[in-house]
Amino acid sequence: MTDRYSRQILFSPIGIEGQDKIRSKHVLIIGAGALGSGNAEMLTRAGVGELTIVDRDYVEESNLQRQQLYTEQDVKQKLPKAAAAEKRLREINSDVKIQAVIGDANPELLAQIAQGKDLIIDATDNFETRLAINDISQKMDIPWIYGACVGSYGMSFTIIPGKTPCLNCLLKTIPMQGLTCDTAGIISPAVGMVVSHQIAEALKILVEDWEAIRTSFVSFDLWRNQYSSIKMSKAKDESCLSCGTNPTFPFLELGNLTKSTVLCGRDTVQVRPPKRLDIQLEELSKQLMTIGYEVKGNPYLISIETENKEQRMVIFKDGRALVHGTKDLIAAKTLYNRILG
Amino acid sequence: MNKVLFFAHLRDAVGEESIEMEANGKTVAEFKQQISETYDIQKLDTVMVAINEEFAPDSEVIQEGDIIAFIPPVSGG
Repeated sequence: MTDRYSRQILFSPIGIEGQDKIRSKHVLIIGAGALGSGNAEMLTRAGVGELTIVDRDYVEESNLQRQQLYTEQDVKQKLPKAAAAEKRLREINSDVKIQAVIGDANPELLAQIAQGKDLIIDATDNFETRLAINDISQKMDIPWIYGACVGSYGMSFTIIPGKTPCLNCLLKTIPMQGLTCDTAGIISPAVGMVVSHQIAEALKILVEDWEAIRTSFVSFDLWRNQYSSIKMSKAKDESCLSCGTNPTFPFLELGNLTKSTVLCGRDTVQVRPPKRLDIQLEELSKQLMTIGYEVKGNPYLISIETENKEQRMVIFKDGRALVHGTKDLIAAKTLYNRILG
Repeated sequence: MNKVLFFAHLRDAVGEESIEMEANGKTVAEFKQQISETYDIQKLDTVMVAINEEFAPDSEVIQEGDIIAFIPPVSGG
Protein backbone atom coordinates (compact mmCIF):
# COMPACT_ATOMS: atom_id res chain seq x y z
CA MET A 1 0.00 0.00 0.00
CA THR A 2 2.71 2.47 -0.97
CA ASP A 3 0.05 4.62 -2.60
CA ARG A 4 -2.00 4.87 0.52
CA TYR A 5 -0.82 8.29 1.73
CA SER A 6 0.23 9.67 -1.67
CA ARG A 7 -2.33 12.49 -1.76
CA GLN A 8 -1.44 13.61 1.73
CA ILE A 9 2.28 13.47 0.88
CA LEU A 10 1.66 15.58 -2.23
CA PHE A 11 0.35 18.30 0.06
CA SER A 12 3.61 20.20 0.43
CA PRO A 13 3.44 21.24 4.12
CA ILE A 14 3.34 17.49 4.92
CA GLY A 15 5.50 15.76 2.29
CA ILE A 16 7.37 12.48 2.83
CA GLU A 17 9.12 13.84 5.88
CA GLY A 18 5.83 14.92 7.43
CA GLN A 19 4.24 11.55 6.72
CA ASP A 20 7.13 9.81 8.50
CA LYS A 21 6.62 12.10 11.47
CA ILE A 22 2.87 11.36 11.54
CA ARG A 23 3.69 7.63 11.56
CA SER A 24 6.09 8.06 14.48
CA LYS A 25 3.55 9.78 16.76
CA HIS A 26 1.15 8.54 19.44
CA VAL A 27 -2.11 10.46 19.94
CA LEU A 28 -4.55 10.18 22.84
CA ILE A 29 -8.24 10.90 22.21
CA ILE A 30 -10.40 11.48 25.28
CA GLY A 31 -13.98 10.50 24.46
CA ALA A 32 -15.41 8.31 21.72
CA GLY A 33 -18.70 10.09 21.09
CA ALA A 34 -19.32 12.33 18.08
CA LEU A 35 -16.08 14.31 18.23
CA GLY A 36 -14.09 11.25 19.26
CA SER A 37 -15.41 9.18 16.33
CA GLY A 38 -14.63 11.88 13.79
CA ASN A 39 -11.19 12.66 15.18
CA ALA A 40 -10.23 8.99 15.48
CA GLU A 41 -11.31 8.17 11.95
CA MET A 42 -9.41 11.08 10.38
CA LEU A 43 -6.22 10.34 12.33
CA THR A 44 -6.44 6.64 11.51
CA ARG A 45 -6.87 7.40 7.82
CA ALA A 46 -4.01 9.91 7.99
CA GLY A 47 -1.72 7.09 9.17
CA VAL A 48 -0.86 8.12 12.72
CA GLY A 49 1.48 5.60 14.36
CA GLU A 50 -0.52 4.86 17.49
CA LEU A 51 -3.89 5.93 18.75
CA THR A 52 -5.29 5.47 22.24
CA ILE A 53 -8.98 6.19 22.69
CA VAL A 54 -10.75 6.25 26.06
CA ASP A 55 -14.48 6.29 26.80
CA ARG A 56 -16.76 5.24 29.68
CA ASP A 57 -20.05 4.85 27.77
CA TYR A 58 -21.68 2.26 25.47
CA VAL A 59 -23.31 2.74 22.04
CA GLU A 60 -27.00 3.73 21.99
CA GLU A 61 -29.44 4.27 19.17
CA SER A 62 -29.53 8.06 19.58
CA ASN A 63 -25.75 8.11 18.84
CA LEU A 64 -26.05 6.82 15.29
CA GLN A 65 -27.20 10.12 13.75
CA ARG A 66 -23.72 11.63 14.23
CA GLN A 67 -21.23 9.19 15.77
CA GLN A 68 -19.72 7.97 12.54
CA LEU A 69 -17.86 4.88 13.73
CA TYR A 70 -20.93 3.03 15.04
CA THR A 71 -23.55 0.76 13.52
CA GLU A 72 -26.96 -0.68 14.43
CA GLN A 73 -25.14 -3.89 15.31
CA ASP A 74 -23.07 -2.05 17.94
CA VAL A 75 -26.30 -0.71 19.46
CA LYS A 76 -27.86 -4.20 19.60
CA GLN A 77 -24.77 -5.55 21.32
CA LYS A 78 -24.54 -2.53 23.65
CA LEU A 79 -20.81 -2.45 22.87
CA PRO A 80 -18.65 -0.04 24.85
CA LYS A 81 -17.85 2.88 22.53
CA ALA A 82 -14.10 2.45 22.93
CA ALA A 83 -14.33 -1.25 21.92
CA ALA A 84 -16.66 -0.59 18.96
CA ALA A 85 -14.36 2.26 17.84
CA GLU A 86 -11.27 0.05 18.04
CA LYS A 87 -12.93 -2.65 15.91
CA ARG A 88 -13.98 -0.17 13.19
CA LEU A 89 -10.67 1.74 13.19
CA ARG A 90 -8.71 -1.52 12.69
CA GLU A 91 -10.88 -2.25 9.65
CA ILE A 92 -10.10 1.19 8.26
CA ASN A 93 -6.33 1.04 8.70
CA SER A 94 -4.49 -2.03 9.94
CA ASP A 95 -1.16 -0.13 10.02
CA VAL A 96 -2.27 1.96 12.97
CA LYS A 97 -1.84 0.55 16.48
CA ILE A 98 -5.18 1.19 18.16
CA GLN A 99 -5.61 0.88 21.89
CA ALA A 100 -9.09 1.15 23.42
CA VAL A 101 -9.45 2.05 27.08
CA ILE A 102 -12.90 1.47 28.56
CA GLY A 103 -13.03 3.69 31.60
CA ASP A 104 -13.77 7.05 33.18
CA ALA A 105 -11.18 9.65 32.20
CA ASN A 106 -10.59 10.87 35.76
CA PRO A 107 -7.26 12.52 36.70
CA GLU A 108 -5.78 9.20 37.85
CA LEU A 109 -6.49 7.41 34.57
CA LEU A 110 -5.51 10.49 32.54
CA ALA A 111 -2.12 10.65 34.28
CA GLN A 112 -1.50 7.01 33.40
CA ILE A 113 -2.55 7.07 29.76
CA ALA A 114 -1.19 10.52 28.86
CA GLN A 115 2.36 9.38 29.62
CA GLY A 116 4.49 9.45 26.49
CA LYS A 117 1.79 10.79 24.16
CA ASP A 118 2.62 13.47 21.59
CA LEU A 119 -0.82 15.07 21.54
CA ILE A 120 -4.15 14.90 23.36
CA ILE A 121 -7.41 15.52 21.52
CA ASP A 122 -10.41 16.59 23.55
CA ALA A 123 -13.64 14.85 22.61
CA THR A 124 -15.29 14.87 26.03
CA ASP A 125 -18.70 16.19 26.98
CA ASN A 126 -17.91 18.09 30.17
CA PHE A 127 -15.64 20.85 31.49
CA GLU A 128 -14.45 18.95 34.53
CA THR A 129 -12.61 16.43 32.35
CA ARG A 130 -11.39 19.21 30.03
CA LEU A 131 -9.84 21.12 32.91
CA ALA A 132 -8.18 17.90 34.12
CA ILE A 133 -6.82 17.34 30.58
CA ASN A 134 -5.65 20.96 30.65
CA ASP A 135 -3.69 20.41 33.90
CA ILE A 136 -2.21 17.10 32.68
CA SER A 137 -1.16 18.84 29.46
CA GLN A 138 0.68 21.56 31.39
CA LYS A 139 2.19 19.14 33.88
CA MET A 140 3.47 16.72 31.21
CA ASP A 141 4.14 19.33 28.52
CA ILE A 142 1.81 17.76 25.93
CA PRO A 143 -0.22 19.94 23.54
CA TRP A 144 -4.00 19.45 23.51
CA ILE A 145 -6.83 20.62 21.29
CA TYR A 146 -10.12 21.77 22.83
CA GLY A 147 -13.22 21.12 20.75
CA ALA A 148 -16.91 21.32 21.62
CA CYS A 149 -20.27 21.63 19.93
CA VAL A 150 -23.96 21.85 20.67
CA GLY A 151 -26.89 22.54 18.33
CA SER A 152 -25.34 24.11 15.22
CA TYR A 153 -22.65 25.84 17.27
CA GLY A 154 -19.06 24.73 17.71
CA MET A 155 -15.65 25.93 18.82
CA SER A 156 -12.01 24.93 19.02
CA PHE A 157 -8.77 26.19 20.50
CA THR A 158 -5.26 24.76 20.42
CA ILE A 159 -3.32 24.77 23.68
CA ILE A 160 0.46 24.43 23.58
CA PRO A 161 2.17 24.55 26.99
CA GLY A 162 4.60 27.46 27.27
CA LYS A 163 3.29 29.09 24.09
CA THR A 164 -0.46 29.73 24.27
CA PRO A 165 -2.87 30.59 27.08
CA CYS A 166 -4.50 27.50 28.61
CA LEU A 167 -8.18 26.67 29.12
CA ASN A 168 -8.03 27.73 32.76
CA CYS A 169 -6.76 31.21 31.70
CA LEU A 170 -9.97 31.56 29.66
CA LEU A 171 -12.51 30.06 32.01
CA LYS A 172 -11.18 30.66 35.58
CA THR A 173 -13.92 28.42 36.98
CA ILE A 174 -15.81 25.38 35.71
CA PRO A 175 -18.82 26.60 33.76
CA MET A 176 -21.73 24.63 35.13
CA GLN A 177 -25.13 24.07 33.59
CA GLY A 178 -23.52 24.36 30.16
CA LEU A 179 -25.68 23.34 27.24
CA THR A 180 -25.20 19.71 26.26
CA CYS A 181 -26.13 17.64 23.22
CA ASP A 182 -28.71 15.85 25.37
CA THR A 183 -30.48 19.06 26.33
CA ALA A 184 -30.07 21.30 23.28
CA GLY A 185 -29.56 18.75 20.50
CA ILE A 186 -26.78 18.59 17.93
CA ILE A 187 -26.54 18.37 14.14
CA SER A 188 -23.72 16.39 12.54
CA PRO A 189 -22.26 19.26 10.42
CA ALA A 190 -21.40 21.09 13.64
CA VAL A 191 -19.52 17.98 14.77
CA GLY A 192 -17.70 17.66 11.44
CA MET A 193 -16.64 21.29 11.45
CA VAL A 194 -15.15 21.04 14.94
CA VAL A 195 -13.40 17.78 14.03
CA SER A 196 -11.92 19.41 10.91
CA HIS A 197 -10.54 22.29 12.96
CA GLN A 198 -9.09 19.87 15.51
CA ILE A 199 -7.48 17.55 12.96
CA ALA A 200 -6.00 20.38 10.89
CA GLU A 201 -4.26 21.53 14.07
CA ALA A 202 -3.36 17.95 15.00
CA LEU A 203 -1.62 17.41 11.66
CA LYS A 204 0.35 20.66 12.08
CA ILE A 205 1.46 19.51 15.54
CA LEU A 206 2.32 15.98 14.37
CA VAL A 207 4.47 17.26 11.49
CA GLU A 208 5.91 19.89 13.87
CA ASP A 209 4.89 22.85 11.71
CA TRP A 210 4.65 25.13 14.76
CA GLU A 211 4.51 28.32 12.68
CA ALA A 212 1.26 27.18 11.10
CA ILE A 213 -0.63 26.66 14.40
CA ARG A 214 -3.83 28.68 14.65
CA THR A 215 -3.44 30.84 17.76
CA SER A 216 -6.99 32.21 17.66
CA PHE A 217 -10.10 30.80 19.33
CA VAL A 218 -12.49 29.83 16.57
CA SER A 219 -16.26 29.53 16.95
CA PHE A 220 -19.11 29.27 14.50
CA ASP A 221 -22.84 28.73 14.20
CA LEU A 222 -23.65 26.89 10.99
CA TRP A 223 -27.41 27.53 11.19
CA ARG A 224 -27.24 31.24 12.06
CA ASN A 225 -24.25 31.80 9.75
CA GLN A 226 -22.00 33.34 12.37
CA TYR A 227 -18.22 32.90 12.34
CA SER A 228 -15.69 34.34 14.71
CA SER A 229 -11.98 34.12 15.27
CA ILE A 230 -10.71 35.72 18.45
CA LYS A 231 -7.08 36.66 19.02
CA MET A 232 -5.98 35.18 22.32
CA SER A 233 -2.57 36.69 23.10
CA LYS A 234 -4.02 38.85 25.91
CA ALA A 235 -5.65 35.85 27.57
CA LYS A 236 -2.41 34.41 28.97
CA ASP A 237 -2.57 34.85 32.75
CA GLU A 238 0.73 34.63 34.64
CA SER A 239 -1.15 33.98 37.89
CA CYS A 240 -3.07 31.05 36.33
CA LEU A 241 -2.90 28.03 38.64
CA SER A 242 -2.64 25.65 35.68
CA CYS A 243 -0.04 27.36 33.45
CA GLY A 244 1.20 30.43 35.35
CA THR A 245 4.49 30.97 37.16
CA ASN A 246 3.48 28.88 40.21
CA PRO A 247 1.18 26.14 38.96
CA THR A 248 -0.69 23.90 41.43
CA PHE A 249 -2.76 21.97 38.83
CA PRO A 250 -6.01 22.47 40.80
CA PHE A 251 -8.15 20.23 38.58
CA LEU A 252 -6.09 17.17 39.39
CA GLU A 253 -6.99 17.49 43.09
CA LEU A 254 -9.67 15.12 44.27
CA GLY A 255 -11.39 17.80 46.37
CA ASN A 256 -12.25 19.75 43.22
CA LEU A 257 -13.98 16.84 41.49
CA THR A 258 -17.55 15.70 41.14
CA LYS A 259 -18.17 12.92 43.64
CA SER A 260 -20.33 9.90 43.05
CA THR A 261 -21.26 7.57 45.89
CA VAL A 262 -23.56 4.56 46.09
CA LEU A 263 -26.24 5.08 48.69
CA CYS A 264 -26.41 2.03 50.89
CA GLY A 265 -29.09 -0.51 50.05
CA ARG A 266 -31.01 1.84 47.79
CA ASP A 267 -29.83 0.97 44.28
CA THR A 268 -29.07 4.69 43.99
CA VAL A 269 -25.99 6.76 43.25
CA GLN A 270 -25.55 10.29 44.52
CA VAL A 271 -23.61 12.64 42.23
CA ARG A 272 -22.32 15.80 43.89
CA PRO A 273 -20.60 18.66 42.03
CA PRO A 274 -17.38 20.10 43.52
CA LYS A 275 -19.19 23.21 44.74
CA ARG A 276 -22.81 24.19 45.35
CA LEU A 277 -24.59 25.31 42.22
CA ASP A 278 -27.71 27.36 41.81
CA ILE A 279 -29.59 25.51 39.11
CA GLN A 280 -32.47 27.28 37.40
CA LEU A 281 -34.82 24.32 37.76
CA GLU A 282 -37.68 25.86 35.84
CA GLU A 283 -35.47 26.63 32.83
CA LEU A 284 -33.87 23.18 32.91
CA SER A 285 -37.21 21.42 33.18
CA LYS A 286 -38.55 23.37 30.17
CA GLN A 287 -35.50 22.33 28.13
CA LEU A 288 -35.88 18.70 29.16
CA MET A 289 -39.59 18.70 28.33
CA THR A 290 -38.92 20.14 24.87
CA ILE A 291 -36.73 17.16 24.08
CA GLY A 292 -39.28 14.65 25.29
CA TYR A 293 -38.36 13.83 28.86
CA GLU A 294 -41.22 13.45 31.27
CA VAL A 295 -40.35 15.93 34.00
CA LYS A 296 -41.89 16.08 37.45
CA GLY A 297 -40.85 18.54 40.07
CA ASN A 298 -41.33 21.18 42.69
CA PRO A 299 -39.38 24.33 43.57
CA TYR A 300 -36.60 22.23 45.15
CA LEU A 301 -35.99 19.44 42.67
CA ILE A 302 -36.91 17.90 39.36
CA SER A 303 -37.20 14.25 38.48
CA ILE A 304 -36.74 12.64 35.05
CA GLU A 305 -36.65 9.12 33.65
CA THR A 306 -34.21 7.71 31.09
CA GLU A 307 -35.55 6.60 27.70
CA ASN A 308 -35.53 2.92 28.66
CA LYS A 309 -37.23 3.73 32.01
CA GLU A 310 -34.45 1.87 33.82
CA GLN A 311 -33.15 4.88 35.72
CA ARG A 312 -34.65 7.94 37.28
CA MET A 313 -32.60 11.02 38.09
CA VAL A 314 -33.59 13.59 40.67
CA ILE A 315 -31.76 16.91 40.38
CA PHE A 316 -31.67 19.30 43.33
CA LYS A 317 -31.30 23.06 43.11
CA ASP A 318 -27.77 22.88 44.59
CA GLY A 319 -26.59 20.71 41.69
CA ARG A 320 -26.71 17.41 43.56
CA ALA A 321 -28.42 14.50 41.86
CA LEU A 322 -29.69 11.08 42.85
CA VAL A 323 -29.68 8.47 40.12
CA HIS A 324 -32.10 5.68 41.05
CA GLY A 325 -32.01 2.23 39.51
CA THR A 326 -28.23 1.79 39.40
CA LYS A 327 -25.23 1.11 41.59
CA ASP A 328 -22.85 1.94 38.77
CA LEU A 329 -20.93 5.12 39.66
CA ILE A 330 -19.75 5.74 36.13
CA ALA A 331 -23.17 5.22 34.54
CA ALA A 332 -24.60 7.72 37.03
CA LYS A 333 -21.90 10.31 36.30
CA THR A 334 -22.41 9.78 32.57
CA LEU A 335 -26.12 10.53 32.87
CA TYR A 336 -25.38 13.55 35.09
CA ASN A 337 -22.91 15.03 32.59
CA ARG A 338 -25.34 14.48 29.74
CA ILE A 339 -27.98 16.61 31.40
CA LEU A 340 -25.87 19.16 33.27
CA GLY A 341 -22.69 19.31 31.18
CA MET B 1 -22.35 53.63 20.90
CA ASN B 2 -21.19 50.04 20.78
CA LYS B 3 -22.26 47.11 18.71
CA VAL B 4 -22.80 43.96 20.79
CA LEU B 5 -22.89 40.49 19.22
CA PHE B 6 -24.32 37.35 20.82
CA PHE B 7 -23.46 33.76 19.98
CA ALA B 8 -25.23 30.41 20.51
CA HIS B 9 -27.92 30.30 23.21
CA LEU B 10 -27.19 33.91 24.22
CA ARG B 11 -28.54 34.98 20.87
CA ASP B 12 -31.80 33.17 21.66
CA ALA B 13 -31.91 34.66 25.17
CA VAL B 14 -31.42 38.21 23.86
CA GLY B 15 -33.67 37.60 20.86
CA GLU B 16 -31.27 39.22 18.40
CA GLU B 17 -27.89 38.53 16.88
CA SER B 18 -26.66 42.03 17.61
CA ILE B 19 -27.76 45.16 19.40
CA GLU B 20 -26.52 48.74 19.75
CA MET B 21 -25.77 49.77 23.31
CA GLU B 22 -23.77 52.39 25.18
CA ALA B 23 -20.86 50.66 26.93
CA ASN B 24 -18.16 53.34 26.65
CA GLY B 25 -16.10 53.60 29.87
CA LYS B 26 -17.44 50.42 31.46
CA THR B 27 -15.23 47.46 32.31
CA VAL B 28 -16.02 44.10 30.74
CA ALA B 29 -17.17 42.82 34.16
CA GLU B 30 -19.54 45.80 34.60
CA PHE B 31 -20.94 45.36 31.13
CA LYS B 32 -21.51 41.62 31.70
CA GLN B 33 -23.46 42.53 34.82
CA GLN B 34 -25.57 45.04 32.87
CA ILE B 35 -26.36 42.56 30.08
CA SER B 36 -27.19 39.88 32.61
CA GLU B 37 -29.70 42.21 34.35
CA THR B 38 -31.21 43.71 31.19
CA TYR B 39 -31.89 40.35 29.57
CA ASP B 40 -32.34 38.28 32.69
CA ILE B 41 -29.52 35.90 31.76
CA GLN B 42 -27.76 33.99 34.54
CA LYS B 43 -24.11 33.06 34.67
CA LEU B 44 -22.29 35.35 32.30
CA ASP B 45 -19.13 35.03 34.43
CA THR B 46 -17.74 32.19 32.33
CA VAL B 47 -18.82 33.63 28.99
CA MET B 48 -15.85 34.81 26.92
CA VAL B 49 -15.87 38.42 25.82
CA ALA B 50 -14.03 39.69 22.77
CA ILE B 51 -13.51 43.35 21.95
CA ASN B 52 -12.77 43.99 18.28
CA GLU B 53 -12.07 40.27 17.78
CA GLU B 54 -9.55 40.11 20.59
CA PHE B 55 -10.00 38.34 23.97
CA ALA B 56 -10.87 40.89 26.65
CA PRO B 57 -10.29 40.18 30.37
CA ASP B 58 -12.91 41.31 32.93
CA SER B 59 -10.86 44.39 33.83
CA GLU B 60 -10.59 45.80 30.30
CA VAL B 61 -12.33 49.15 29.74
CA ILE B 62 -14.63 49.40 26.73
CA GLN B 63 -14.05 52.34 24.37
CA GLU B 64 -16.44 54.28 22.11
CA GLY B 65 -17.12 52.31 18.91
CA ASP B 66 -15.70 49.00 20.17
CA ILE B 67 -17.47 45.92 18.87
CA ILE B 68 -18.16 43.54 21.74
CA ALA B 69 -18.89 39.83 21.29
CA PHE B 70 -20.25 37.39 23.88
CA ILE B 71 -19.06 33.86 23.19
CA PRO B 72 -20.27 31.14 25.56
CA PRO B 73 -18.00 28.08 25.82
CA VAL B 74 -20.05 24.89 25.41
CA SER B 75 -19.39 21.39 26.67
CA GLY B 76 -20.99 19.04 24.13
CA GLY B 77 -18.91 16.59 22.25
